[in-house]
Amino acid sequence: MLIWIIFAAMTGAVVFALLWPLNRGPREAFADTADAASLYRAQLGEIDRDVARALIAPAEAEAAKAEAARRLLRAAGDEVGAAGETEASLRRRRASSALALSCVPLLALLVYGAFGSPNAPDLPLSARIEKEPSRQDFAMSLARIEAHLAANPADGRGWSVLAPVYLRQGRFEDAARAFASAIRHGQDGAEMFAGQGEAQILAAGGVVTAAARESLSEAVRRDPRNPRARFFLAIGQEQDGDLPGAAAALRALLQEAPPGAEWTETVRQRLQSLPGTGPGAPGDDPAEAIAKLPSGAQQEAIRGMVDGLAARLRDGGGSAAEWGRLIRSQLVLGDRDAAASSLRTARERLAQDAAALTQINALAAELGLKDATP
Amino acid sequence: MIVEIGHFALALALGVAVVQSVVPLWGVARQDRALAGVGQAAALASFLLVCLAFAALTLSYLRSDFSVENVVANSHSTQPLIYKITSVWGNHEGSMLLWVLILTLFGALVALSRRSLPERLRAGTLAAQGMVTVAFLAFTLLTSNPFRRMLPAPAEGQDLNPLLQDLGLAIHPPLLYVGYVGFSITYAFAVAALIDGRIDAVWARAVRPWTLLAWVFLTLGIAMGSYWAYYELGWGGWWFWDPVENASLMPWLAGTALIHSTVVMEKRDALKVWTILLAILTFSLSLLGTFIVRSGVLTSVHSFATDPARGLFILIILVVFVGGSLALFAWRAPLLRQGGIFAPVSREGALVVNNVFIATSCATVFIGTLYPLALEMITGDKISVGPPFFNATFIPLLVPLLLLLPIGQSLAWKRGDLLGAAQRTMLAFAIAIAVTVIVFAIRWGGPVLAPLGVGLGVFLIAGAAFDLGERIMARASGLPAIWARAVGLPRSAWGTALAHAGVGISVIGIAATAWSTEAIGVLRPGDSLTSGRYRVTLESVTPRTGPNFRAEVARFSLASGDRVLLPVEAAKRLYIARNMPTTEAGIRTDGLSQAYVSLGEPQGDGSIAVRLYDKPLVLLIWIGALVMAFGGGLSLTDRRFRLAAPRRRAAVVPQAAAQPAE
Amino acid sequence: MTALDPTRSGPARRRMTRKQKRLAMLAAGGLVLAIAAALVLVAMRDTIVFFYGPTEIAEKGIAPGTRMRLGGLVEKGSVQKGPGQRVVFSVTDSKSTVKVSYEGLLPDLFREGQGVVTEGVFEGGSSFRADSVLAKHDETYMPREVADTLKKQGHWQPGEAPAPSAPAKR
Repeated sequence: MLIWIIFAAMTGAVVFALLWPLNRGPREAFADTADAASLYRAQLGEIDRDVARALIAPAEAEAAKAEAARRLLRAAGDEVGAAGETEASLRRRRASSALALSCVPLLALLVYGAFGSPNAPDLPLSARIEKEPSRQDFAMSLARIEAHLAANPADGRGWSVLAPVYLRQGRFEDAARAFASAIRHGQDGAEMFAGQGEAQILAAGGVVTAAARESLSEAVRRDPRNPRARFFLAIGQEQDGDLPGAAAALRALLQEAPPGAEWTETVRQRLQSLPGTGPGAPGDDPAEAIAKLPSGAQQEAIRGMVDGLAARLRDGGGSAAEWGRLIRSQLVLGDRDAAASSLRTARERLAQDAAALTQINALAAELGLKDATP
Repeated sequence: MIVEIGHFALALALGVAVVQSVVPLWGVARQDRALAGVGQAAALASFLLVCLAFAALTLSYLRSDFSVENVVANSHSTQPLIYKITSVWGNHEGSMLLWVLILTLFGALVALSRRSLPERLRAGTLAAQGMVTVAFLAFTLLTSNPFRRMLPAPAEGQDLNPLLQDLGLAIHPPLLYVGYVGFSITYAFAVAALIDGRIDAVWARAVRPWTLLAWVFLTLGIAMGSYWAYYELGWGGWWFWDPVENASLMPWLAGTALIHSTVVMEKRDALKVWTILLAILTFSLSLLGTFIVRSGVLTSVHSFATDPARGLFILIILVVFVGGSLALFAWRAPLLRQGGIFAPVSREGALVVNNVFIATSCATVFIGTLYPLALEMITGDKISVGPPFFNATFIPLLVPLLLLLPIGQSLAWKRGDLLGAAQRTMLAFAIAIAVTVIVFAIRWGGPVLAPLGVGLGVFLIAGAAFDLGERIMARASGLPAIWARAVGLPRSAWGTALAHAGVGISVIGIAATAWSTEAIGVLRPGDSLTSGRYRVTLESVTPRTGPNFRAEVARFSLASGDRVLLPVEAAKRLYIARNMPTTEAGIRTDGLSQAYVSLGEPQGDGSIAVRLYDKPLVLLIWIGALVMAFGGGLSLTDRRFRLAAPRRRAAVVPQAAAQPAE
Repeated sequence: MTALDPTRSGPARRRMTRKQKRLAMLAAGGLVLAIAAALVLVAMRDTIVFFYGPTEIAEKGIAPGTRMRLGGLVEKGSVQKGPGQRVVFSVTDSKSTVKVSYEGLLPDLFREGQGVVTEGVFEGGSSFRADSVLAKHDETYMPREVADTLKKQGHWQPGEAPAPSAPAKR
């Protein structure tokens, strides 16, 4: 309601301002002829001053004066016949008033009515944050933390709070950066490194990258019992084809779990999916199928699979990750020569791709294959 | 509530502008001063209303009120205060509001300038200005409403385009707009004169300060824009002949011609029809510029996001105002009293030459800018008209003009003496030749045109200086007399000389770009790169966090020969809210020259691509523009504009008494 | 333009009649215009570059060695950085593809899958040597020529690129 009163007052003031000049007393004519005449007189004066200061030669001045005077006469002759009866002028004023009175409010209401939102209050950010902390939505508090961190980027604790939030929101890259900031600014506990590793893995679409492995190893170095880091390291092993190793790691994790830890269920599921005890056709996932075989046959089957992978990669294509898996698998199977040979081939194949090459080289260094001779 | 009050004020302003465009015109037609007075009231009222609207929007930005759609789309709560303010006009809707604000500001100024304007002319002008205001207010309210609400309000805004988060943006558009919109007043003056059918020296004198004002701001705006592009786009270029740049250059050229032709009209009562036409064309080109920038019909390297519906609306405005005024011109101009004819060799003759050349060069820019559009509509072929075209057409037209400038400047009004003028400019010419030869000798084997360009610049500066000297020294001897004459010389004479010298300074700076050099290299910390006189050594690459961006900052040490200069920093920034990278060039000013470093992609192995330019005398380009604008400003303060016409009876009578009527 | 003036007319011609003066001025003005027109025409012939999309290049049978602008999307996964500042990438309108080689720094907004305009020389076949690469300074921007080309090939949904969805990313 108040807003409409304000609008009405504004409109009233404006219309009043427009009508004011119409209220002038008796009608006056324009004084333009006087204007023109005064200009030329001023020009004549200027010429005299210029002559006095010797800015122009007397002869030029004479000519200029003659011309200005001519124009002065002409301007005087232009006098417009000022006429018009008062009756007509009154009519004109009434019409103008009517126009101002109708057009201004009408147009304003029309346009404002079409686009305005008279009932919407102002919502400045600071007021929103302070007001009603109970109803404050999640995004608001997130915005507040972000604003705080933007102003104080060295607040490690703030980053350590923000990072897991990002992770839950699915903003994995932001999360990885936030964890890194937290670590840089003093929050360098195992949980931060583990979180960073997880964020890096999720940002890479679930692949345990070299960088993620580094973060996770760092976490385990700080706290050998850190379940999150160990869990993801185990997944890394699984991705490298080291299924027995992965299974062993997960089992160890379960054994050491404190009673009632919520994450044991996740680990157990993962472990079950490893040996293939879960539902799903056995042939579906080769890894599952192999895990179900007795241990002697298992070794055979794995070797067969690795050979198959080696043959496929030799025939062409293959990403750095696939080559990495092959080399790792061959090493696990104890075939160091085959691994070295695969490494050479991989380096040749991936020569064009700098990123892939560094990945392979890092792997080779990690596995101690760097100096392997052909 | 404040948002809504701002919105309503804008809507009210539309109604007021309608009244402003109708009632005063009627008053002029019926010789009714009361009706004409409504124009002034309306102009002031609409200015105050738009002020209110602008203040409301600014407040919304300052308070990060994310219930306003415009604030959400162009602001972020973590932005520094200054960019929260500049965000207001760093987007289409807000910049239209700024445009309307300046439009009404000029209307208000005209309404208030009681002294220097004949009343009828003022009433007609306010009416015409009112029509322009109606069009742009309607455009803003209907297609680009900055007060649209977004409810429920999002928690955070999307940030301003990072390229625009820069102090250059804080200054550039307002300057440019004052220029563009300032020409709306000269347009309104022309339309008023055509409707009224009276045009004379009084008109010319009334229009001149407004033209000068708009021109000064447009000059500053273009110079700022050019410098902004130079350091912000990271390409080291300062003028790209981009449609958006041409859009500001064309009104500037037309305005320059207009400044000169109004002088002729005021002094000699000639060139009336042409001046009126120029006044119309200048603002038409401003409108065209707006159309080009807003509609996206022409591809450009820097412009706001565009929208075809808005383009259509602006096109309609363009057609109505350009077409309407030209039709009015065709109908009324033949009825105007023809101006006098004059001798070709005279100051006014020289000014006509100036107008011919400037108008022609403006036409070539026009063709080059719009030809691709026309061709695409006709044949469907898409072409691009780039710098080579403009270099091949614009420059050959400009050079003779600049060569003639010092000679024309020293010609007398009415009847000039070409031989005398040539003699007077001889000394300046000799100095220019000497400088050219010396520069040639020093830079032997370099680009041929550069020394010639420097010589041309020197010619202009020396010509302006000698002309001024001539006027001060002639027929005077002894220091006191010279001082008295220097002080007594009209400010506009100083202004003219300064502006012309400014052109010369810019010409030298532009010519010197031929000597600039560029080198690209991939550097690791400790590596060096040399270009021209400068050598940079990469010291370190470190991450840094700003309020709303992250940056990789490369620090370089800089040396020129044996001289060690201050280090320079260049950066790649990533603006988080928009996930958008920008390049921050590192610029070290060394005298009038600059070393310019910009970064490319980091190469992954710790090295980074670096581009280094040696830009000799590059600052002169913008210094020249500043000098030009300063000269214009100085002319503006000339007391003759203030004395101008109607000191009302009281002031005039004594003078009239002193002047026996002829 | 009623009154135009050559500065070249010397004192000897000062006694011309009004009409002659007017004529002389018009002639001089006409001369400047004619020179300008000639400059424009010559420059038009020599300096103008046409814009094509990859499909147009294939269809129109453009001669190798032609200087032109090429626009389209940078094909995903096609960007290969060579030694130094050499870059090779493919520009596509999803019907045809042209391989572009370029030496120099790429603009900030050059990204795979985004619109790009390059200027350079067509080398025949489907290879193009660019000497400048432009990407627009606005993340929602699509060069108009590129948008048109894509529309022609039926791969454009208006609003797809430019819509700055309200609470973006959050």
